[in-house]
Amino acid sequence: MPAVAVVAVGGRTMELSAEIITTAQRLGQMIGQAPAIQAYRLAVQALESAPEALALEQRLYEHYETLLARQQAGEALSQAEIVAFNRLRGEVQSHPLILRRETALREAKAYLAQVADEISLVLKVDYTALVKAQS
Amino acid sequence: METQSSPMTGPAVAAPEWRAAARTLGTLLHQTPAYEAFWQALQKANQDPVLQRLGEEIRAQQAARVWGDDDHEAVLARLEQEVEQLTVVQEYRRAEQQVNALFSAVDALISQAAGLDFAANARRSGCSCGG
Repeated sequence: MPAVAVVAVGGRTMELSAEIITTAQRLGQMIGQAPAIQAYRLAVQALESAPEALALEQRLYEHYETLLARQQAGEALSQAEIVAFNRLRGEVQSHPLILRRETALREAKAYLAQVADEISLVLKVDYTALVKAQS
Repeated sequence: METQSSPMTGPAVAAPEWRAAARTLGTLLHQTPAYEAFWQALQKANQDPVLQRLGEEIRAQQAARVWGDDDHEAVLARLEQEVEQLTVVQEYRRAEQQVNALFSAVDALISQAAGLDFAANARRSGCSCGG
């Protein structure tokens, strides 16, 4: 009979074998130390230490929300507004620190997908599809 | 860890440790009663002739809707309701819930140790429209 431990997840408890707990935690530690994940963390840190880049990105989000709300309210946007928005988006997308974070994020996600694929390969179903968001 | 070499390719690169750990975890999850019950329910559902027929009808209705016919929503809703009422589907849903709980607990452990949400960031599906 394998050892069983109880873990609390999202306010509920679940019984898991000690072997599953140990292996899941070991895998998590390896993921945390993977070069792609470390590169992403460094890219986020670099961006967070650049207030002008963060402000530029924030400006884009706010501008996007405003234009979207106006469009959803039935208002037609002018050509000048669309051009200005596209210019701002281009500025954000080409900012070196934002570009670095986005590239690192893509690479981190690709690595995580590879890890999940290994689990799915054994299960013969998509592991990620069977994990539900915790409420 | 064993490595192999050949005159043509040189020494083979050892598989990364995370790959072995991920496969071990997959094997351990595969052996749980919850996953075994889920797998059996899935096989049973996949082989059910009534479910197969309803699936074909649903796909035909969806294809017709794509081509612009508007009268398919009610038929689709009825077919989907019929699917959910099948015993084989209800058994599958119950087994799926157990596996959802199991995998979510395991994923929380991985995520906590990694310092990020594992499954949420590992999904291949979904749009690439931001974030």
